[in-house]
Amino acid sequence: MAATADETEETTDGSEPAADPAPRRRRPGRIALAVSVFGELLITAGVLLGLFVVYSLWWTNVIADRKADRQADKVREHWAEQKESGPGALDTKDGIGFLHVPAMRNGEVLVEKGTGTDVLDDGVAGYYTDPVKATLPTTGKDGNFSVAAHRDGHGAKFHNIDKLEKGDPIVFETRDDWYVYKVYSVLPETSKYNVDVLSPVPKESGRKKPGHYITLTTCTPVYTSRHRYVVWGELVRVEKVDAARTPPKELRG
Amino acid sequence: MYGWIWRHLPGNAWVKALLSLVLVLAVVYVLFQYVFPWAEPLLPFNDVTVDNQ
Repeated sequence: MAATADETEETTDGSEPAADPAPRRRRPGRIALAVSVFGELLITAGVLLGLFVVYSLWWTNVIADRKADRQADKVREHWAEQKESGPGALDTKDGIGFLHVPAMRNGEVLVEKGTGTDVLDDGVAGYYTDPVKATLPTTGKDGNFSVAAHRDGHGAKFHNIDKLEKGDPIVFETRDDWYVYKVYSVLPETSKYNVDVLSPVPKESGRKKPGHYITLTTCTPVYTSRHRYVVWGELVRVEKVDAARTPPKELRG
Repeated sequence: MYGWIWRHLPGNAWVKALLSLVLVLAVVYVLFQYVFPWAEPLLPFNDVTVDNQ
């Protein structure tokens, strides 16, 4: 209503300047109003997208790291308690151990069961239960210990996976043992449907015989999930954890 | 739209500015706490696993 009144006011402005005696601020016309609202919506959309980037690349890390730290503390406490009461059942709920990858320079990564977003979003690595079940190193059986973690956001635990080269150590720490793996093959880009990389004997890595393998998967290129990045390692040796939890020499360097 | 909000906030310019800031923070909080966590899984940016789906 006001807008139509304004328009007539504008058109009659030249001929009858005395029609509106009060010097009110001139209101924009209907089209001008629509354009300005549209512009504001565009600005809002831009700010929203910007905020989403801030959220996914920064805030999710803050949240995830906080949660992961709390869970890691819980696991360590658990281990300390069990130490006194002798060997107990493997507790897969809180996490089964820690992954240390010096080349990724990200400290220790808690490993939990499952690769759903509910697990991985807590800033941990998850071992596969589906579509190919991971073989845990603690079982001592031949097989593939396949884990996944986020490349960006939610702790971004595998962000530096591209820094891993052949020969680099990957150490998995459990309550009683250090499992020292060595990277022997890297697949920088593969389809996200390539579940064969998780096989007990991952043929694509060049190995044909059963053995103790570890597979790290995450997404690539960074900030997208168009493809998957895969790193394979092979068990070199297992060290018993001593009373002081002295890390193996690969982690001391 | 924003002009309308500004005109409907009470007080002088300083009070309006303060209230605007509070509104902005409230909106950001709601986005970070509820909207983005909901929207994230629907967007194809953060799938890290291989699967056959």
